[in-house]
Amino acid sequence: MASRTSTVGSRAKRGLVSLGWALGGVLVAILLWEGVKVLGSIITLPFETSDQAMPHVWSIVSGAMQPEVRGSDTPVWQTVLIAAIYTLVIAFGGFLIGVAVGLLLAIVMQRFAFFERGLLPFVIASQTVPLIALAPLIVGIGNRISIGPFEWGQTQSIMFIAAYLAFFPLSVGALRGLQAATPTQVELMRSYAATPRQALWKLRFPASIPYLVPALKVSAAAAVVGTVVAQISTGGRGGIGRLIIEYARETTAQPAKVYVAVIGAVIVGLLAAGLVALLDLYLTRNLPKETLT
Amino acid sequence: MSTLAVHAEGVWKIFNEGANNEVTALSDVSIDVGKGEFVSLIGPSGCGKSTLLRVIADLIPPTRGSVSVAGVTPHEAREKHQYGMAFQQAALLDWRTVRRNVELPLELAGWDKDKRKARALELLEMVQLQDFADHRPWELSGGMQQRVAIARSLATDPEILLMDEPFGALDEMTRERMQNELLRISKATGTSVVFVTHSIPEAVYLSNRVVVMSPRPGRITHVVAVDLGERNEDTRESDAFYDSVTAVREALRGRATPVGEGGARLAETS
Repeated sequence: MASRTSTVGSRAKRGLVSLGWALGGVLVAILLWEGVKVLGSIITLPFETSDQAMPHVWSIVSGAMQPEVRGSDTPVWQTVLIAAIYTLVIAFGGFLIGVAVGLLLAIVMQRFAFFERGLLPFVIASQTVPLIALAPLIVGIGNRISIGPFEWGQTQSIMFIAAYLAFFPLSVGALRGLQAATPTQVELMRSYAATPRQALWKLRFPASIPYLVPALKVSAAAAVVGTVVAQISTGGRGGIGRLIIEYARETTAQPAKVYVAVIGAVIVGLLAAGLVALLDLYLTRNLPKETLT
Repeated sequence: MSTLAVHAEGVWKIFNEGANNEVTALSDVSIDVGKGEFVSLIGPSGCGKSTLLRVIADLIPPTRGSVSVAGVTPHEAREKHQYGMAFQQAALLDWRTVRRNVELPLELAGWDKDKRKARALELLEMVQLQDFADHRPWELSGGMQQRVAIARSLATDPEILLMDEPFGALDEMTRERMQNELLRISKATGTSVVFVTHSIPEAVYLSNRVVVMSPRPGRITHVVAVDLGERNEDTRESDAFYDSVTAVREALRGRATPVGEGGARLAETS
C-alpha cells in the first residue's frame, strides 16, 4: 500500500512539473508571436505581420474585454467562453459515442478474426472521406430523421461528425491493446476455463490500457477538431466554430476578435486533453511507470 | 483408471494435416502418470514435450488417440479446475496485487471473496511470500514471481500440476532452491506433476521417472526410472544422482535401449 501512495505522490509531482512546462510553453508562444512581428517590421517576411493580420498580444487581450456588440453588456471573452463550453459539451458527447463505438468495433474485431479482416479496411477507408464533404451530407440525411419525440437537429449532426472522427483512433488503438496480452497469459486463462467474456474483462481489457490511453488522447483531440470543423462547415449556432466565422468577417473593424475565438478553441482542446489526462491517471494507477506513454 | 493422474494412449498431434507444411509433433505417444508421481518430459527443441503438455491440458486437441486426466477427459478436467499450470514466464497480471494474482483462478472458479482471500494468503505463506501479498508483481524478482505463479497454479488444490519449463528463466542458485520448494510442496499436497524441462540434472533431481523424447516426429524414446529416495542437500552430489544423469544423457543421445511398443507405461518401470 505504501508503494501505491508514493506512486500517486510522484505522479502528482510530475503533474506539477508538466504544468510548469505548459505555462512556459505559453510564454514562449507569446514571445515568438511578438518576435515575429518585430522581425517583420525590420525585414520583409513572406507573410503579413501588420497589426491588422497579427494583432499584438495585448490588443487580443483588450479585444477580449470589449463588448460583444456596441452598447452590449457582454464582453467578447464571455461570449467566447460560453461558446467554448458549448463546444466542449458537444465534443464530449461525440467523444463518448466515438469511444463506445470504437471499443465495440475493437472487441468484435479481436474476438472474430473474420471481422478484423472484413471490417478494418472499412474503418480505415471511413477516415479518407474529407470531413468537409461529409458534413453537409450528414446534416442533409439527419434532417429527415425523427423518431417519436426525438428530432435529429444540427447538434446531433455535429456530435455525429465528432464521433465519426473520434472512433477511428480509438478502435485501432484498442484493437492493438486487446491483442497485447501475451500468449502465455491467454493460455493461462484458457487453462482456468475462463469464458470469452471473463477473458475480456480480467485479461484483455486491463492489458490494453497502455495502448488505450494514447488512443483516448488522440480520440479526444479528434472529437474537438471534429466539433469545431463541423460547426464551421454546418454553421451550427452557439459553438466556437460559428464564432470563428462570424469574427473573421469583422477582422477589418476588430482584427483581435477572431483570435479571441481561436484561443477559445485552443482552450477547449486543452480542457479535453486535461480530462483525458485525469482518466489516464485513473486507468494506469496500478501499472509500472516505465510501461506508460 | 481412477488411480492415474494422467493416462494417454496412442496420442498423435499433426499440425496442418494434409497441407504441405504438415508437422507431426506427436507420434503414437502413450504415457501414464500415477497419483502423486513426479514425471519429467525432456528432449531437444521440437520433440513435442510442450505439445504433449498442452494436449493433456486441453489447450490443443490431439489429432488421434485418447487422453484422460484425473479419470475424466482433459476438457472436463479443465472445466473442473483439476489441474494447475505454470509456464516459463510467470505471466502474472501487472495490474493486480500478488494476492489478487493468486486469487485469479479462484475468481474464475466462482469462489466467494473471503474464501479466496484466505486461500490466497495460505498459498502465499506456503511459498513464503506472505509479506508481499499487497505488492505488485513488477516489484518482485524473477524467482519470487515464479513462486507466485506456482502458488497460483495450486490455488484450486488441483490433483495435477502441469509445468512447462517453469524455472527455465531463473539463475542456477534460485533454480535449485525452487526445485526443493516444488518437491516440498508437491509432497505436502500430494499433487502429481508433469514437468517439461531442458535440464538433465533438474529432471533427475525432481522426478520419479524421466520421459525422454526425440524430434521429427515427436515421440517417446526412453523412460528412465529414478530412485534417489528422499531428496536432500547431498542428493545432488551422490553417485546415484550422477548415475541417473548419465542414464538420461545416454538416452538423449540415443545410446540406451529404446522403450518398446507400450511407450511410457507405469507397469514397465515400477
